[in-house]
Amino acid sequence: MNPDVLLRYAPSLISGFGVTVMCWGAGGALGLILGFIISLLYRLPFAPLRWLLRALIEVFRGTPFLMQLFLLYAGGPYIGLKLNATTAGVVGLGLYSSAYFAEIFRGGFAAVPHGQIEAAMSVGMGPRDTLLRVTLPGALIAAVPPIVNMLIVLSKETVVLSIITVPELMYQMQTMAAETFTAFDAIFAMAVFYWLLVEATSRLGRRVEARVTAFMAQEASPA
Amino acid sequence: MSLPTIQIRGLTKRFGDHEVLRGVDLTVAASEVVCLIGPSGSGKSTLLRCVNFLEPYDAGEVRIEGRLIGYEDAPNGARRPMAARPLRAMRREIGMVFQHFNLWPHMTALHNVAEPLRRVRGLAHAEADERAMAMLARVGLSDKAQAYPSRLSGGQQQRVAIARALAMQPRLMLFDEPTSALDPELVGEVLEVMKSLASEGMTMLIVTHEMGFAAHVANRIAFIDSGRILEQGPPRYVFHESAEPRVRQFLQTYHDRNSF
Repeated sequence: MNPDVLLRYAPSLISGFGVTVMCWGAGGALGLILGFIISLLYRLPFAPLRWLLRALIEVFRGTPFLMQLFLLYAGGPYIGLKLNATTAGVVGLGLYSSAYFAEIFRGGFAAVPHGQIEAAMSVGMGPRDTLLRVTLPGALIAAVPPIVNMLIVLSKETVVLSIITVPELMYQMQTMAAETFTAFDAIFAMAVFYWLLVEATSRLGRRVEARVTAFMAQEASPA
Repeated sequence: MSLPTIQIRGLTKRFGDHEVLRGVDLTVAASEVVCLIGPSGSGKSTLLRCVNFLEPYDAGEVRIEGRLIGYEDAPNGARRPMAARPLRAMRREIGMVFQHFNLWPHMTALHNVAEPLRRVRGLAHAEADERAMAMLARVGLSDKAQAYPSRLSGGQQQRVAIARALAMQPRLMLFDEPTSALDPELVGEVLEVMKSLASEGMTMLIVTHEMGFAAHVANRIAFIDSGRILEQGPPRYVFHESAEPRVRQFLQTYHDRNSF
């Protein structure tokens, strides 16, 4: 371990960590939004649309993220899509994760017992209220743990962005390692950063989960 | 007023190759309590679910106060599925209580009862809560208004479900094995609520295995087997005087199981 090197590179490491968190947050948010929209569209009674969405999901889940990112960043300009490295990284993370999030939301919808929907039908509730008041809350609650899990996986996929020169943590680490021949220190520091990020995420996730499932075990405070 | 609350004629329902209902005729008059009994798989729950069209039927008709549910006449003389809106309007007038309660787990007991009042009846928040509280009081659960379903016993959950259906002020109530999922010592509290409903003149169609309850509360018992009503009449007649062998066999099995 070489503290001098680590101290000297601390500013660039911290800035790299900031970029990592930013790309992860923005990419994850984009993926969640896209995935949610896909899962809603998937519920429409229109088979060709479902086939199309299914094909999209399979392509994004079935190919390596690295390849998708290359195609987007290097291939994009050929179809008039010129993105800078960071934007391409965020969009890439968003598209990639949207396929997983769509499946998570779909699973959430499937987890709502049909009896709850029949109860809504039996009192004459319309499709909009049934979705907003019955199906959606149940689906979202069921989706929280796998969403947190996917966000953790995604946080570590951000290292791939270094390949297209996004100045995130991995990229800064490699720079440091190359300039100072301190490969071990670089990797060690990187592990600490990611571990902090993942630990914070899973703690936050557990709190959100406890909060949204509070009704399963506790009485509400009197209104 | 002479239109029966429910009039079922020639009702046929098929699941694939299996004919679950094979030409059922049944009439329930206003304020009448009719219990459907019969072996498992006889089609009694399916019959009940056809009454509010949760289960679409294939042939025959179900009329609620004279109006066909689930289908409407097309110009060419055939019938076509009813539009969603009028079907919902009809369902509003038919309360249903399920075997597994089907409460919404993310809402308190009060919220479960008040939600349909707000979304379907269009009541203001305070007004809906007030009526919901009154309904919970009626099923003896005022003190559980703020409890989530997971904190309630099965019997309490089922009473909340009854309150939810009642709050809509339905013209009739359907009960689909309302006590079958309950521990034996919780059955009584639910049957009490149903008994009081019956005495107040609610029209009720009940699928049940509670023969004692059926004998005491029903005006009429209909015995179903293999998708047909084999026998119907006053409880005394069906339970004691029917000559139909399947009825006697069913009741004998029931009797044997419950004597010790």
